[in-house]
Amino acid sequence: MSHSYGSRQALADVDLGLHPGELTFLVGPSGAGKTTLLKLINREIRPTAGAVWVAGIAAHRLQPSNVAQLRRRVGVVFQDFKLLPRLTALENVAFALQAADLRVSGDEARERSVDALEAVGLGDRGSAFPTQLSGGQQQRVAIARAVVAQPSVLIADEPTGNLDQDTALEIMDLFEDIAAWGTAVLVATHNIEIVTRLQRRVVTLVDGRLVRDQPAGQTGRMAWLATS
Amino acid sequence: MAGDVVKAKFRRGHLVRVVAANLVRCLFRDSARSWGRNFGATAPALGSMTLLLLMAGLVGVTGFALHNLEQQQAEQASLLHVYLRDDASDPDVIALWDRLAADPRVARIAYTNKDKALARAQSVPGLPELANASESNPFPASLDVQVRNINDVGAIDALARQSSIVDPVVPTSYDRGAYQRIQAILFGLAVAGFAFVALLGFVAVTVTMNSIKAAIHSRRDEIAIMQLVGAPRWMVRGPFVVEGAITGGVAGLVAGGVTFGLALAGIAGGSGSFSQFAPGVTAAVAAVAAGVVLGAGLALGSGSSLLSMRRHMES
Repeated sequence: MSHSYGSRQALADVDLGLHPGELTFLVGPSGAGKTTLLKLINREIRPTAGAVWVAGIAAHRLQPSNVAQLRRRVGVVFQDFKLLPRLTALENVAFALQAADLRVSGDEARERSVDALEAVGLGDRGSAFPTQLSGGQQQRVAIARAVVAQPSVLIADEPTGNLDQDTALEIMDLFEDIAAWGTAVLVATHNIEIVTRLQRRVVTLVDGRLVRDQPAGQTGRMAWLATS
Repeated sequence: MAGDVVKAKFRRGHLVRVVAANLVRCLFRDSARSWGRNFGATAPALGSMTLLLLMAGLVGVTGFALHNLEQQQAEQASLLHVYLRDDASDPDVIALWDRLAADPRVARIAYTNKDKALARAQSVPGLPELANASESNPFPASLDVQVRNINDVGAIDALARQSSIVDPVVPTSYDRGAYQRIQAILFGLAVAGFAFVALLGFVAVTVTMNSIKAAIHSRRDEIAIMQLVGAPRWMVRGPFVVEGAITGGVAGLVAGGVTFGLALAGIAGGSGSFSQFAPGVTAAVAAVAAGVVLGAGLALGSGSSLLSMRRHMES
C-alpha cells in the first residue's frame, strides 16, 4: 500500500502482514510513516494505492458510513490515551463495548468492563474519572477499552510516549499478554530499550518505506536504530 | 447427553429488550446526563434561543390579533347602515328593502328601529351620556345592509342615497377611504411583521446553529474518540441531536410559558380594551401559541444540531 498527503509521499509500497498472537513493533524516525500506517489500518485515511485488509474487511474500499464495522475489529491505543473525560474508567470501557455491539446488555457490559479493568490491574479504579488517574493508569484504561470487545487487531501509537520507563515496561507486558490471547498487536514506538528487551518482531519504516522486517528473537541490540 | 454440546435457545425477546434498552440509554439517558454536564457550553445557545423564540411567540400572537382585527374591520366596513328619515312610511321602507335585497351584491339586510338604535348607542362606550342628553331619541332607524364584497359598498351606498326616505343629513355610514386607510395600515403592519418574523427566523437559525456548532466544537475530541472506538454514525450524532432537542425544548418551554403568561395577563388585565385591540386572542389561542413555540424550539434545536453534526463529521 501507498499513501500520499498531497505531493508528499508518506508511505511507498509497504507490504506488511500481521498475524494473530503476534506482537510487532513498528519503529522508525519521526516522519517515517508509522502513524500513517496505523491510520490506514484503522481506516482513518484511505491508501492512495494498494489495499488494506483487516480481519477479512477491505478497509481501502470501506465507505465512511461502514467504517464502524471495521473499528469494532480494531482496538486502538493512543499516546495521549484519548479517554472520554466525562465518563468514569468503567464507563469508558463499557462505552466502547456497547458502541461495538448494541446487543450487549448493561449488566454484561459492566461485567466485561470490570474483567477488562482487572486484567490491566485497575479493577478497583472503575469509578474514577480520567483526571483522577495517573498517566500509566489512564493508559491501562485505554488498553482495557481497546481490548474489551476482543478485537482481531490492536494498534498502539506511541503508547508509552508519555510514561516513565517502569510504567512503559508494565504497559508492554500487557501488550504481550494481549498478543498471547490471540490478537495481532502492532505497537509504534520510539522506545528502543523496550524493543530490544522484548525481542519481538520489529518492522522498520524509513521515509515511508519498509526497510527491515526482523522476526522475533532476531532483533539484536538494534544499535542501528538509534542512529537511523 | 453427557459430552454433547447443547445450543442454548435463542431468546429473541430478551435480545430485543436489550437493544431497545441500549438505544434508550444511548439516545436519551446518556444525552440528558451529557446535557447536564455540558450545560456551560450549551448555555449561550439556550439563552439566545429562548430570547428569539419568545420574540417569535409574541410577534406570532400579535400577528394573529392583527389578522383578526383586519377581518373584523373588513366585516364592519362592508356593513352599510342606511339611515332613514323619521317620517319614512313602512311601505317606502319595504320598497327600499326590496330594491336593495334584489341587488346580487347584497348578502342580507336587517332593519333597526329607533328604539334598537338607541339601545345600541347606549352600549357603545362614551355614547350613553349623549343618548341621555336629549329628551327625544336622536338615533334614526336604519336598514343594515351587509355587502358581499367590500369593494361594492360604494355602489350600494350610491343606490341607497337615491331613495327619498333616506336621511338627507347623514344618509349612510359609508366613509369613503376609511376602510382603505385601515387596510393600508394593517397591510403595512403585516408586511413589517412578516419581514420581522423572517429576519427573526434567520437570526434564530443562524445564532442557534453557531451556538450549537460552538458547543459541538468544544467537544470535538469526544466526537473523535467515539468514532475511533467504533461508534456508528447514528450513535455519535444521535445524542447530540437529542441534546439539541433538549436545549430547544427547554428554550421553547420557557419562551412558550412566558408568551402564554403574557397573553393571559393581557386578557385578564386589559379585559374589554384588550379584546378590542387584540380580537380573538383567548387563553386557548395563547396555549396554541405556546405549543407552537415549544415545537419550534424542539425543531430548531434538533435540526440545528443535526446540521452542525453532519457538517462537523464531514469535515
